[in-house]
Amino acid sequence: MKTVKLITLLALFISISSCSNDNDDPQLLQIEIDSVLNLHAPQEGGIDQMGNPIPISGEFTKFDFSTGATTTSSTEWDIAFRGTSIIINGGVSSGTTDEPERTGNAAAYIGTGTMSGVKAVNTSYLEQDSVNGYVLSNWYTYAGPPTHLISPTAGKLLIIKTRDAKYAKIEILSYYKDAPENPDAYSDEERYYTFNYVYQPNQGELTFE
Amino acid sequence: MRFKSIFIIAVLFPLLCLSQQQVEKTMDTVLTQQLNEVVVTATRTIRQLSSLPLPVQIIAKKELKETGSTRLDAILNEQTGLITVQNFIGGEGIQMQGLESEYTLVLIDGVPLIGRSAGTLDLSRLSVGNIKQIEIVKGASSSLYGSEALGGVINIITDKSNRNGIHGNLMHRFGTFNEQETNINLDYKKERITLGAFINRSSSNGYDLNNATNVNTLDPYFNYTFNTKLSYDITENTNLFASTRYFLQDSDYIPTDTEAGESEVREWNAHLKANHKYNEKWSSYFEFYASRYFAKDFLNNVEDNTLFSESFYKEVLIRPEIRATYKVNNKSSFIGGLGLDYEALNRADFSTTPKLTSPFMYLQYDTNPKEDLNIILGARFDGHNEYNSQFSPKVAFRYQIFDKLAAKGSVGYGFKAPDFRQLYFDLQGIAGYTILGYNVVNTRIPEMLDSGEIGSENDIFVPLSNFNDKLNPENSISYNFGLTYNPISELKLEVNYFRNDIKDLIDNQLIANKTNGSGVYSYQNIKKAFTQGIEFNSSWRISNSLKIAGGYQFLLAKDKDAVESFKNGGAFASFPGQSAFQLKESDYFGLFNRSKHMANFKVFYSNTQNKFNTNIRGTYRSKYGVLDTNNNTYLDKYDDLVDAYTMWNWAINKTFKENYELGIGVDNIFDFTDEPTSNNDFTFINNIPGRIFFTKLNIQF
Repeated sequence: MKTVKLITLLALFISISSCSNDNDDPQLLQIEIDSVLNLHAPQEGGIDQMGNPIPISGEFTKFDFSTGATTTSSTEWDIAFRGTSIIINGGVSSGTTDEPERTGNAAAYIGTGTMSGVKAVNTSYLEQDSVNGYVLSNWYTYAGPPTHLISPTAGKLLIIKTRDAKYAKIEILSYYKDAPENPDAYSDEERYYTFNYVYQPNQGELTFE
Repeated sequence: MRFKSIFIIAVLFPLLCLSQQQVEKTMDTVLTQQLNEVVVTATRTIRQLSSLPLPVQIIAKKELKETGSTRLDAILNEQTGLITVQNFIGGEGIQMQGLESEYTLVLIDGVPLIGRSAGTLDLSRLSVGNIKQIEIVKGASSSLYGSEALGGVINIITDKSNRNGIHGNLMHRFGTFNEQETNINLDYKKERITLGAFINRSSSNGYDLNNATNVNTLDPYFNYTFNTKLSYDITENTNLFASTRYFLQDSDYIPTDTEAGESEVREWNAHLKANHKYNEKWSSYFEFYASRYFAKDFLNNVEDNTLFSESFYKEVLIRPEIRATYKVNNKSSFIGGLGLDYEALNRADFSTTPKLTSPFMYLQYDTNPKEDLNIILGARFDGHNEYNSQFSPKVAFRYQIFDKLAAKGSVGYGFKAPDFRQLYFDLQGIAGYTILGYNVVNTRIPEMLDSGEIGSENDIFVPLSNFNDKLNPENSISYNFGLTYNPISELKLEVNYFRNDIKDLIDNQLIANKTNGSGVYSYQNIKKAFTQGIEFNSSWRISNSLKIAGGYQFLLAKDKDAVESFKNGGAFASFPGQSAFQLKESDYFGLFNRSKHMANFKVFYSNTQNKFNTNIRGTYRSKYGVLDTNNNTYLDKYDDLVDAYTMWNWAINKTFKENYELGIGVDNIFDFTDEPTSNNDFTFINNIPGRIFFTKLNIQF
């Protein structure tokens, strides 16, 4: 019996040390943890003063995970923002005015959990934008009267496969300029995204750790 | 801490006093008073309050008079476990056993009030100037009353003269905010004929709790209530009763700086009833009731006086009903009824003018198999075409364990018919969305596909076949178990446990995407919830002149899916601008607008020698939430809750020369209001205007 135990222990030891060897692999790039403050995502249209809907239009503000910055490139972008709409560079347009052409193969889903709690991507959930709508449409909650606030729904993360098959997770923190502690839908400027994100720059790597 | 002290005062104080003071012997008067307390609502037969197997409360005319209350909402707020809650659309509805006002049936002389334009029945529209008593039955009572009696029933019994000749009274009350209330009661009785007329006028300048806006919290209004009644004893065994009521209200309607308008309500009811007693065993009642409720409002743009919006709501109810009672012997009796509800509604944003006819029948058996045991078995059937028919049984018992201790319990089924909105809405929202009633989904969605409002079949998320079956009424099973203890006849202690298991709650849900980017929503049976708690009531008549009463309710009210979600770690919260964190099971606070603790304490003193009476009443409500403030749609312990509050009211009345009574009083002595403290703060308690000084004069003739 003793020998069996010993062999098991030995086997475990070897497998653990071989694992740690993997982690030391110099080929892997470091995971990027960053945040973006006040990404401005203006839109035109919406609802006029009489309460009648006007078609929404205006340029989307595009974001590229590989540079960690906004971009005006027509191809080198992963996700883009306009008002409360968030689109990805993959799939087809739902047909609104000024929607950029999707040149990449990005996909996404809305995950549930905290930023530290969601440790890996579940690829079976990934979807692309389609004529039926945007994959990332359900990220916020509109409070209605009396506050009329638009707030990121707690525990909803945007899980993204970038145009070049890398993965990222985003937690949106605020829709108002400077991410105020007590937002006021009447006085604070809206359509300013503040978010935390984690970017896994190694292609095909599904974990964020 | 505040709660604890109130609890001690409310529930234990009568007991403490008992040991310290010698109790006056007033057995006889107390006994007569208790015997006089009869209730008709609980069983639809005249029953002594103390003998009933159900949790029932009575508010007597004396209490209404002594407190100086003029509207129904004010007096109900002082009763254990009851609170009126204002919704954002306006209208003050009652919350009973933690159930919202849609689930409490409100009756006047046994027939229902209509006009729940947003689900809530606004109780502030009811004057208490001609009320004999208010009967409150808790727990599902659909076995007798059908729809809406899911949480309980409030029955307002109007007064009727019992003296020959012409009598009447004139009352005027004047209070802060220019609150004016006038009552004229006129009664005539000659042998077998009784006539009564009642006129009430009520008005107020309104008030403003939020100085940051130019908009009033309550806009100025005035209203009138007219009521006439006739009762005629054709023979000793035959009685004819007729009553009409008309209510009219006009008020300003100024919701924002840029829009202003007016709103009006017109309501009438006509109630005819004929009773005949055939013999010792059989009697029957023929009843006919009709009511019409009409409300409309408009808003103009202030700048150029052009129309901004308008809406209307017109509801009609007609109900013929026959009822019979059969007394088997001294121990057992039956009551049964058969009737028809005809309802019609015409309102803005409806696909049709719905007309519903629903027949109903009920039977109840009331028996005393032994002297110390009373059992009630009852059931009712409500037939419907537009949604599922309902069968509502109920069973209740009362057992006298000892001389001074009795146990009672009841289990019953309650339901609330889907309201017309949930069935027939066809609303185009200003932001481009559409809300469809359940019964119009199958016709409207294909139309919207044809017209291109919906792009393709792929845009429909909920299969249309889900709307083939009829919608289920919201329903619940309600349990009540209680003890009544009378250590001495002047002291009454009661405890009641309640639970309401509610299912098929109707909520709206996204069913399709529109090509304009908005959604189509419709109603479905989605949610499940429960409310449960314990209620204590105590009242002690220390002497003929002094009475103390206290009550307390502990309440848990939760959405069952939310409970699951918290349990499974699926609930998160985040403060504005910060990362989300996971919530624990114990973090769930429960449904909106529910306070865990509510208590009341009242002292009534009357001095017959100097002909005055005075009273002080306090109510307490623990913290509660009206809004989710941390982005998860739930109410949890990290949310910004409305603080607990206590209110004290005081009144004194003095009688001069027999027929004149002058009263003064203060409602909300410590001037509690929920005024916003910062720009981001909102007024959540809109129905508490602050301290009100009032004076009233009552002339009897």
